[in-house]
Amino acid sequence: MLLDIIVSGLISGSIYALLAIGFSLIFGVARIVNIAHTAFYMVAAYCIYFGAQKLGFHPVWCMLAAVVLVTVFGLICYKLFIDPIREHEAAVLIATIALAMALQEIMLNVFTGTFLSVPSLIKGYFLFFGVKVFYQQLLVFAAVVLILAALWLLLMKTRMGIAIRCVADDREVANLMGINESRVAMITMGISVAMAALAGAIIVPLATLNPLMWMHPLIMTMAVVVLGGLGSIKGSLLGAYILGFTEALVVFLAPGGAFLKNAVALSIMILVLLIRPEGLFGVSFEEER
Amino acid sequence: MGALAYYVRKLYTIFKGEVLVLPSRVAVLLFFLGILLLPVISQDPYLLRILILTSIFAIFAASWDLLSGFTGQMNFGHALFFGVGAYTAAFLSLHAHIPPWGSIPLGACAAVLAGLVVGIPCLRLRGTYLALTTLAFPVILMGIVFALPDLTGGELGISGLHRLSGSRLSDYYICATLMLGLCSVMWKITDSNTGIILHAIREDEVAVRSAGINTTRYKLIAFCLSGFFAGVAGGLYAHFMRIAGPSTLEVSMSFAVVIWSVFGGMVTIYGPVGGVFFLFPLLEFLRFWPEYRTLLFAGIILFILLYMPDGLFPWIRDKIEIECPRCKVRNIATRNTCRICTAPLKLGMTGEGG
Amino acid sequence: MRKNSLGWSLFWAIFLALAMCFPAWGADVIKIGVIGPMNFVQGKGHWNGALMAEEELNAKGGIQVGSKKMKIQIIKADSNEFLSITDATNAMERLITRDKVDFIVGGFRSEAVLAMQDIAMDYKKIFIDCGAAHPELCLRVGKDYKRYKYFFRQTPFNSNYLGKSCFIQFATVAAILKKTLNLPKVKVAIVGEKAMWVEPMIGAAKKVLPQMGMEIVGTWRPSQVATDVTAELSAIQRSGAQLIFTVFSASVGITFARQAGELKIPAVQAGINVEAQKDGFWDATQGKGGYVGTLNTYCRGVEVNELSKPFMDKYVKKFGETPTYTAGTYDAIVYALAPSIEKAGTLDADKVVSVLEKSVYKVPVGTIAYFNDEKGNPLHDIKWGPGFVTGIMVQWQDGKMKGVWPNHWKAAKGVPEVTYKGIVPFKIPPWVVAKYKK
Repeated sequence: MLLDIIVSGLISGSIYALLAIGFSLIFGVARIVNIAHTAFYMVAAYCIYFGAQKLGFHPVWCMLAAVVLVTVFGLICYKLFIDPIREHEAAVLIATIALAMALQEIMLNVFTGTFLSVPSLIKGYFLFFGVKVFYQQLLVFAAVVLILAALWLLLMKTRMGIAIRCVADDREVANLMGINESRVAMITMGISVAMAALAGAIIVPLATLNPLMWMHPLIMTMAVVVLGGLGSIKGSLLGAYILGFTEALVVFLAPGGAFLKNAVALSIMILVLLIRPEGLFGVSFEEER
Repeated sequence: MGALAYYVRKLYTIFKGEVLVLPSRVAVLLFFLGILLLPVISQDPYLLRILILTSIFAIFAASWDLLSGFTGQMNFGHALFFGVGAYTAAFLSLHAHIPPWGSIPLGACAAVLAGLVVGIPCLRLRGTYLALTTLAFPVILMGIVFALPDLTGGELGISGLHRLSGSRLSDYYICATLMLGLCSVMWKITDSNTGIILHAIREDEVAVRSAGINTTRYKLIAFCLSGFFAGVAGGLYAHFMRIAGPSTLEVSMSFAVVIWSVFGGMVTIYGPVGGVFFLFPLLEFLRFWPEYRTLLFAGIILFILLYMPDGLFPWIRDKIEIECPRCKVRNIATRNTCRICTAPLKLGMTGEGG
Repeated sequence: MRKNSLGWSLFWAIFLALAMCFPAWGADVIKIGVIGPMNFVQGKGHWNGALMAEEELNAKGGIQVGSKKMKIQIIKADSNEFLSITDATNAMERLITRDKVDFIVGGFRSEAVLAMQDIAMDYKKIFIDCGAAHPELCLRVGKDYKRYKYFFRQTPFNSNYLGKSCFIQFATVAAILKKTLNLPKVKVAIVGEKAMWVEPMIGAAKKVLPQMGMEIVGTWRPSQVATDVTAELSAIQRSGAQLIFTVFSASVGITFARQAGELKIPAVQAGINVEAQKDGFWDATQGKGGYVGTLNTYCRGVEVNELSKPFMDKYVKKFGETPTYTAGTYDAIVYALAPSIEKAGTLDADKVVSVLEKSVYKVPVGTIAYFNDEKGNPLHDIKWGPGFVTGIMVQWQDGKMKGVWPNHWKAAKGVPEVTYKGIVPFKIPPWVVAKYKK
């Protein structure tokens, strides 16, 4: 049973981590709360469905194509709708909500509300010390590790990574240092959407697709990011695994209350925030005058 | 007789001097008159239904603005107050057989308590943390609602409530006058001492604290007031729809109120009211194209935000009024000089007849 | 110039608003409103059934109302009930006051139908429910007949009968399992999504199943939209259950079936799985949803009476898929409303109600008769049982939905056995047989 919980927790945690990191990144750099983050994840999922089921391409090509397409699409949306009003935080928030709604409606109209699914990349399962684990779930875990490694490399070792970290740290001074802050914001947006699309690609075979699928992961993603501290990737990672394990605990120890995992996870988030208002690793914001 | 004529003339002078002077005030006057006199033109029950729901949501949106606009505490879980107000009013109505004019205020009081429950943990949080935390509260309450289906009716909610009043028309007048009344009260609150302090808290809390004001108390007051008005809206909704279900606690309800308010213009009470009156009937109107309704709605919001990021009504107001640079009084935009201090309003003007 | 364009925009806005206010004019037709979640498969079922009914009746020249023949016109209303109850009530009100319909059919989500019912009763319009199973809807008719008499339920039978039907089917499967695998006692795992309608089902299951000689080894309640139930599945396997009683209506039904199939959990699934009632289930589970059994209303190849095959063939030909039970709007219009209107000779709601509530008539899924409560008040709810409406059980075999119950079903002593045409035997998944058969 303990092993079940550990395995289940690791997998849920990895899924949340994939989504949370992208969300956290764009917030840290551009102070944009991208409500449409999981909506892009959904669009990527539908692209893969379309490619794999309707056009018959191999899932891997569909995934790559979906990531590229959705990233480009995300950048276009950003340029058209969000960039012009970046100074007004409240308006940006609403714009992303409206964007998410629009994407939902488009998916609803094109694909209707029926539940759809996508074939797994690697079918089958294996026994891990008596616990049945899908290969696809293993892939999720591996993907998180790989993506984190790639992101770390990007942020620590490349010039663009340094620029991103600078802008996240202090926007105005970065501008003074000659970094084109709005270009960095756009690139970060691209990375963030790409991560959402990747998350879609990897998680989608495990889930069922429907146009409302973006709401539930959004709440959990926001909980994870707040818990870990906005703008902190380390925090998001930790927060994701904490909430993942909490969910697993709830499902195994209180099977009758499995539906409560949402509420329990959020309660934990509130508790942590009571003690530490900036989240676990968050930077407490100076009043940005 | 002479005294009466005197007062009438005085009223008229005040009216001409204060209200007719500014187009925004005239607009508000017309709005009041329009809402109250609409049934004279048309008593179509569908139209009245739409306007009743709009009024209820207008109270809801204005209460959000009081909290998140004026006090700066971005509340993404405003549906909590709405839902608590609705469910409490439903309980009292069904089990204690209290008529609507009793159950709704009591429901609102329960919402005030909810305001405290939310406000206290959120005292130390700022900005986005606050927003996302407040998002959690209605979700948790919804979990509790589903966990206790015998008490709360689970997904079906509580149904079979008393009507608000005997007929659609009296429902309309109740909701409309409540809306006008409560929104005016909220407007007055923002204009009072408390309101100024709340506004100051939004701008710079540290400065307010260093001025010796207990910001904790004022923030909690803001949460409670906001909760009260939202609870009233919730109670009205429950009695009008005759059912109080978990749909009142949904994330989409929280998001909807944020959309209406920001669209209409934050940090003004009339902004959210106007926003609701514009967007809600628009959504109904778009039933012409049922498949693309929500899409068009989202599209309209996106495009308007591009051009009017501060909100629709502040934008309109800025177009038709100018603020005098010297005495800071608002004037109609067609004037050349300020009506109070005769300073030139536009560059290049040098006084009367320039 | 600017003032001018402002004036013109104002003019057009007022003009459009006024245009919206004017009701649609109609010729001499009977207007029937079809209200449902039109973007989803349930609403599509509502509309398709009504469409078929409209075409069929109008091809015959319409319905005889007194001395003249009137054609019918169906009007679509999207209730959007999954996303907003407010929208649903607005749509109902609009249908009645704007489109001025004479009758309304449809509805799906119980919370929404409760609210829509009140509105229809306010305006004294006949509203036939084709989707919500909550008993309260009809209990209201018994409690306040004068107000609620305009409400009838067409499909499905109410959730009490749903449970009864379900348990009988489940017992049949358990018996087959016990006999084939030589089990002393069948161990059952109950898995139900967290939803209101599931509570009484689970409560009843916990009482009824032990009485039927089965042992309950655990109850699991995943969320309706759970995307991963491997945790629950591991626990179920550990518990040693051979039979899983499923109570699903949402997407978790697909997830559960798919993951159970992929992991080859050694247990048979039966019960209610609404997603498994749809044609798209096989693809949605990537072909892993085989051997899943569920309660259902329609199934290609199963004939309850002489009306079943023509209806099924016509529907499949026209829409290319098996109907969902919400297509009962066809029955509501063709077999309930039309004959009652003709018999009453008028569109007057009170007269039609008094004719309809006494009618006993055949529909493709059985025979409809309305019953009363213990005090004798009419409930306008449909009877369940052999000779009336029983529902069927289907199982996914080789990628196709096949009917497996009633198969030599003896409802009570002295009652003849019931088997519908086209029913085939229930199959047990090979990996379950391999595990248990010694």
